[in-house]
Amino acid sequence: MKTRVLGKSLPRFDAPGKVTGTLVYAADFSLPGMLVGKVFRSTEAHARLAHLDTTRANGLPGVRGIITAADVPDVRYGGAVKDETVLARDRVRYVGQPIAAVAATTLEAAEAALAAIVATYEPLTPVFDVETATAPDAPLLHPDWRTYTAMPILHREGNVCNRARIVAGDVERGFAEADRIFEHRFRTAMVHQGYTEPRAAVAQWDSAGTVTVWSNTQLPFEIQNTLAEILAIAPSKIRVVVPGIGGGFGGKLRVGVEHVAALLAKRAGRPVKVLTTAEEELTAAYPRQATIVELKTGVTRDGRITAKHGRIWFDTGAFAGSGPGVASVATLVLAGPYRIPNLDLEGHAVYTNKTNCGSFRAPSGPQSNFAVESQMDIIADALGLDPLDFRLKNIVREGDEGPTGQVLNAVGLEECLVKAADAIGWNDRRPGRWRGKGLACGRWTTTGGSSGVYVKINTDGTIALNTGAAEIGTAALTGAAQVLAEELSVDLEDINVVSADTFSTPFDFGAQGSRTAFAVGNACRAAAVDLTRQLYALAAPHLGVEPEACALRDKHVVADGKSLSLAELARLSQATGGGLIAHGTFIAPPTPYDTKRVESHAYPAFHSPSFHAHAAEVSVDPETGEITVENYVVAQDVGFAMNPTYIEGQIEGGVAQGLGQALSEEIVYDGGRVRNPNLTDYKMPTTLDVPRVQTILVQHPSLVGPYGAKGVGEPPNIEPPATVANAIAAATGVRITSLPITAEKVALALRDVTARSAES
Amino acid sequence: MSRIALALTINGQRHDVLTEAHRTLLDVLRADLGLTGTKENCLEGECGVCTVLLDGMAVDSCLLLAAQCQGREIVTIEGVSSRGGDDVLARAFIDCGAVQCGYCIPGMIISATAFLDEHPSPSEAEVREALAGNLCRCTGYQKIVDAVLAAGRTSGTETRGDAR
Repeated sequence: MKTRVLGKSLPRFDAPGKVTGTLVYAADFSLPGMLVGKVFRSTEAHARLAHLDTTRANGLPGVRGIITAADVPDVRYGGAVKDETVLARDRVRYVGQPIAAVAATTLEAAEAALAAIVATYEPLTPVFDVETATAPDAPLLHPDWRTYTAMPILHREGNVCNRARIVAGDVERGFAEADRIFEHRFRTAMVHQGYTEPRAAVAQWDSAGTVTVWSNTQLPFEIQNTLAEILAIAPSKIRVVVPGIGGGFGGKLRVGVEHVAALLAKRAGRPVKVLTTAEEELTAAYPRQATIVELKTGVTRDGRITAKHGRIWFDTGAFAGSGPGVASVATLVLAGPYRIPNLDLEGHAVYTNKTNCGSFRAPSGPQSNFAVESQMDIIADALGLDPLDFRLKNIVREGDEGPTGQVLNAVGLEECLVKAADAIGWNDRRPGRWRGKGLACGRWTTTGGSSGVYVKINTDGTIALNTGAAEIGTAALTGAAQVLAEELSVDLEDINVVSADTFSTPFDFGAQGSRTAFAVGNACRAAAVDLTRQLYALAAPHLGVEPEACALRDKHVVADGKSLSLAELARLSQATGGGLIAHGTFIAPPTPYDTKRVESHAYPAFHSPSFHAHAAEVSVDPETGEITVENYVVAQDVGFAMNPTYIEGQIEGGVAQGLGQALSEEIVYDGGRVRNPNLTDYKMPTTLDVPRVQTILVQHPSLVGPYGAKGVGEPPNIEPPATVANAIAAATGVRITSLPITAEKVALALRDVTARSAES
Repeated sequence: MSRIALALTINGQRHDVLTEAHRTLLDVLRADLGLTGTKENCLEGECGVCTVLLDGMAVDSCLLLAAQCQGREIVTIEGVSSRGGDDVLARAFIDCGAVQCGYCIPGMIISATAFLDEHPSPSEAEVREALAGNLCRCTGYQKIVDAVLAAGRTSGTETRGDAR
C-alpha cells in the first residue's frame, strides 16, 4: 500500500514538549492559592473503627479543612461491585485505607495535621490469603455483601466477589481420552504498574457549583461519572481535564485521588492538589492481583491436548476493584491459544485484607499465561516432544474457535512462533552449560467501547482533531492522527490534537485495553469520510464538476485539472456556512460467541484478537542463582503497523515491565503490612537489567481495525514470565512455579537437586 | 517557620529565594520558581526523574537542600533545552522514538548530558551504566540508549566502533 503518512515511523506530535520539559503533567499542574491535600490512612488490616478524633488536627496552623466519612455523601461506589466508600466509616479493611483527609497551606502543615489525628480501633480477625478467605468458616470482609449493588451476572458468595466460568465439551470425557494427565499449581505475586508520575489531581469549584478536576487519569469520562456518584451531583457539573500523563498501565483507570481533591476543595473553598507518595503507591493503589493457578491438562501420547481443567484465584484485596472482570478475562487466557475440545475454566476474585487490586496492562494475562505456558513446556518434556512442535500441533489457526466459540480470523500465531523460534536459534536450545532458551505464546483482545472525534479543517489548511481519549504515552493518538492525515491527504504536522476534556471533547471509552489507536483511528476514518463528502460538495461547483468527479490530492481537492486547497475551502465554508467540521464515531462490533459456554462472565470474547510469541535465552549462575536475560525476541501479530517505531517501543517496554514481574518485582505483605513500600526494595528493572529486544512485526490484517490494525499495547507484557521460566528450566533443569523467579529461588532449587542427587 | 534568603544560579540566571531551610532544591525549583520540567516522584533518590546538573554533575534534586546549592551552578532541563548545541540530545531522543509518556525524559536527558560531557563517544555498556539511576517504565530503555549513542556520535569528536 502506498501511503503518505500511515505506516511510517514519524515522530509523535507531543515529543518536543516532553524533551524540553515544557509539557505540563498533572503532577506539575497548579493554581493560585492551591492547598495541599493529604490522606490519613488505616494502620490496621481489619478492625472496627471505634473512634476518630480530628479536633486537635483541626486547630493546627495552616489547616484549612479536614474531612471524615461523616462529612461526605454516604455512597458506595465501584466497578462491577459497589463496595467501596471514599473514607472508612465504621470498619477498616486494609493497612492504608483512607479514613480522613486534610487540606493545608503547606505539605508540612498537612503532615502535622495527619500526625494529630487519632483513630481508635477494635481488631477484627484479618484474612491475608485466598485459601483462608475461601475456607468455609472464613471471617467475612463484607458482612453486608448481599446488599451491595453489583453487575447482575456476577456469581458472588461471601468473600468471593465473582466466579466466572467457561465450560466447553466434556472435560471428563476429554481426560478419559488422554494418555497422560498433568496437574500443576502456580503462584504469582502482587506487582505495581510502576508509572513514574505519581497519581495526581487538582480540584477547583466555581460559584455555579461546578467542579473542575485536572487529573492524570486514563479515563476522564469514567472519572466524571464516578465523581458524580461520590459527590452526589450531576455529571454535567463535573469537568475532568487530563493534562500530560506520566504513564498509566491500567493503574490510573479508576478514581484514586480525584475524589479526595474534589471533597477537600469543596470543604476548604480553595483549589486542592493531591499527589501520592511512593509509599502510598505501593500500599494503597491498584496493583496487579497475586494469584494461585491450578491446571489439569490431558494429552495423548503424540501430543494432542484433549482436555483442560483450570482454576485461578485472584487476591483482589479489600474491595472488588477490577477483580470480577479480571477473573473473567483470565478464563479466556487459561485456555491458551490452543484447540482444546473440552474445557472447564474458572476464575475467582477473592476479598482479603490487602490493598484493592485493579488493572495492570493485560489484566490476568501474565499470571494465567505463566501457568499455561510453563505447563506446556513441562508436558512437552514429559512426552519427549520439542516445546515448539508441541505448541504447533495444538495452536489455533484461521477459522478455529476460541474457548467460547468465537470464530478466529487473521490468526498469525504460527508465523509468530516460527519466526520467534528462528530468531532465538531454537535448533540449539541448550547452547552451553547453565544456558538455555525458552518460548511462550498467547493471544489478547482489542478492547471494544466507543470513540468519537470532532474534526475541523482550519482556514490555514491545518486540521483540528478533538478526541476524548487521553494520550498516556503509547503514541496511540499519534497513530490516530496518522490515520486522519492519511485520509485527508495532509501531513502529520498539519494535525493539532486537543484531547480528554469532558466538557469539550466527544465521549471516548478511554485509554485502556489496547484500544486507543484502533478505536480513535477508526473514528478518524469516519470523520474523514464525512469531511471528504463536505469538501467535494463545496468544491464541485467552483471546479465546474459533479462532486463524484472530485478527489483529494496533497492537501487539495482536484478535478478536471483544476484544484482548490483545503485552506481555501475552509475559508469558503466559513464565509458561506458554518465551516468544515465532522463528528466521526466508532464502536467495535460485537464478537459473536456461544452464550451457553459461559457463566458469570464479564468478558466472554476477545475482539479482533492479536497473537504473539516470545523467545528468550538466559544464563544462570549456578552458585548464586542469578539470572541474566541474554537475548529476547518478540514476534507480534499487530495486524497493520501504523507507526513501526512506536509499536517497537510498546513491545520493548512491555517486555521490560514483564521481566520485572518475572524476575524481581513483588509487593511483599507480612501480616497485612507491606514490607517494601519504596523504590529501593520494590525492584523495577533498570538499564542494566533489560536486554535488547528484537521485534518482529507480523501483519495479518484484522477485519475491523483501521487498515487492519490490532491492539498492540498490552500483549508484550503477557509472555515474559513464562518465556523466562521456560528458558531457566532449559538452562538449569529446575522448574520454578512461582513469580518472581528470584536468584534466591533458583539457587535454593539447585541446592535441592544437588542434595537429592547426593542421597541417591 | 523561619526562612532564609538564598541566591541560586539556575540556567545562568540568578534567583533570589526566601525559603525554609529544610526545603529541597526540587521543591524550590518546582513550587517556588515554576520550573516543572524537573519532575517529582519517589523523593528518595531512586527514580531519577528529578535529576539536575550541579556544577556539571547529574544529581537527584530531591536529595539536595536548596541551601546547599548557593554559589553553585544549577542547570535544569529548561536550561539544557535552550543551550543551543545540546539540543542534539533532545533531537536524538525524538528521532530514535525514545519518548513515550515522557515523564522520565528530562531526567534522562540531564543524566545523558553530564555523561556525554565526560564521555563524548561512549559504548552501549557505558551508556547503560550512566543511566542506571534513571527509571523508565515505558520504553524498556532500548531507544533511550540508542538516542544517547546517536547523540554521542553526532556531537562527539571521535567515532568508536558501534557497540550495538
